[in-house]
Amino acid sequence: MKTQLMRPHSSFLQTFHRRFTPVESLRASLGTRRRIALRTSGVIIAGLLVCSTALADHIEKNFKVEAHPVITLHNPNGSVTVKAWTKPEVSVIATRASDQVEVDATQTGNRVDIMTHPVASGAPPDGLRTDFEVRVPEDAELQIHDDSGAVTVNSVLGDMNVETVGAGVDLADAAGYLTVKTIDGPFQCVRCAGRIEVSSISGSLRMVDLRSYQVRAQTSKGNILFSGEFLPNGMYELKNYSGVIEVRFSPGDSFDLSATSLKGTVNNEAKLSPPTHQQHFYSKFNNSLFGSFNSGRARVELSSFDGTINILKRN
Amino acid sequence: MSSVGCNEFVAQMGSWMEGEREPAAQAHLAHCEACRSLAADIDAIQSAAPTLSVADPEPPARVWAALRAQLVQEGLIREALPPPKGERQPWLAALFTQLPRPALAGACLALLIAVGFGIRGPVSQWTSRAPAFPLSAQLDTAEQTTVSSFAGSNSAVSASLHQNLEIVDHYIALCEKSVRDEPQNDAAREYLYDAYQQKADLIDMITERGDSIQ
Repeated sequence: MKTQLMRPHSSFLQTFHRRFTPVESLRASLGTRRRIALRTSGVIIAGLLVCSTALADHIEKNFKVEAHPVITLHNPNGSVTVKAWTKPEVSVIATRASDQVEVDATQTGNRVDIMTHPVASGAPPDGLRTDFEVRVPEDAELQIHDDSGAVTVNSVLGDMNVETVGAGVDLADAAGYLTVKTIDGPFQCVRCAGRIEVSSISGSLRMVDLRSYQVRAQTSKGNILFSGEFLPNGMYELKNYSGVIEVRFSPGDSFDLSATSLKGTVNNEAKLSPPTHQQHFYSKFNNSLFGSFNSGRARVELSSFDGTINILKRN
Repeated sequence: MSSVGCNEFVAQMGSWMEGEREPAAQAHLAHCEACRSLAADIDAIQSAAPTLSVADPEPPARVWAALRAQLVQEGLIREALPPPKGERQPWLAALFTQLPRPALAGACLALLIAVGFGIRGPVSQWTSRAPAFPLSAQLDTAEQTTVSSFAGSNSAVSASLHQNLEIVDHYIALCEKSVRDEPQNDAAREYLYDAYQQKADLIDMITERGDSIQ
């Protein structure tokens, strides 16, 4: 089923008249100059109202889905906000900056594909912007592609794949297998679980209050912050070329640590004993630190080319 | 003489590969077919491994010929006239000039990186190879081809992609210098190949965008 989402009929004129009437009655009691000033401002207000109604419109569409639906969203320009709800339904609200961009929504079985595309070539980027608010069942699987804007996902527990260029990615209370790739958009993940793979070139990566058993985070130029639990048998690999890698640990954590900065420095506040599970090879070229914290049940590998690695106590 | 169990044998595999053949482990092999088979496989891989490192940074001609034939057959590239005598294009550059659309560049770059990883041999081979960084040169060629095909776009996204390409180029230069200065530094080499991979991914992304705006 393919649906071309249409702009709903606008009741702008009625709204405008209701808003404008008190201004008209007030005008009768004022002098000429003030009348002109008011008339001018009235025209401006009316113009602004017309513009805002004509340029940004609201489109809404709902799809009934079953368990574990797949939702794909391709939106090159604009923000994407996804929230979970308990209904077996996908709700899509799109706000277009202009009618130079179209929104297509297609349902095929248990899959909903949402896509924006320009009506004609040569449209200015601002006119192609579309912002999305999407509500999905908790167990939905998401595939989001958003070049510029922002991606925010809350409380979705299914697998997720997000790709952006400049758009930041902000995940909260997510689970499943999360793969995120940005070029220079920052990434943040709060209270996430499951497995996380995130890569960027110049975006910073921030992972807070995590309960993930496997984390692989790599950025070239950005900073990386990890402040979460190191689960037993978990694997945590953080890597950058330059910038700061900061890992926060608490006294109850248990991990085997390998931290290497080829040209930079490693600062450590953890009292480490010789590594319990792995053999490490010290290199004369690198600044390395190996050891176990408590019984070394998780594995933490931090590496940087010329950046700084900080292993700090969590407050 | 006491024998070891399967789990213990597998746990000792590291020592086994380094030539430490404990009598207990050998005794276990005598009566365990599964572990005997595993040990035979490991020995075979170990003995074949040195021959997998080749000095020539290019794939064998037959691989390229087969790939090319396949691409021609599928209509993805056209048969090109041979270059004038005395002129020889690098094999990858030749491929890029024949691609009907830039999206194929990404696939070829992936192949290139795979080949790059495949030819990673001992350090002595790396340092004696000339030119020192063949992948870098090939990627630069791919970049020029791709970026010129994307010249029409002027969006912020395009600017961001190009800016990040410069960042990756900067890291490639740093890593190449590091490898040149410290040829024994395996970690620096790993960073260099990661940077190549990033550049290939970026070029791939730029070609995709180029395709979509055409």
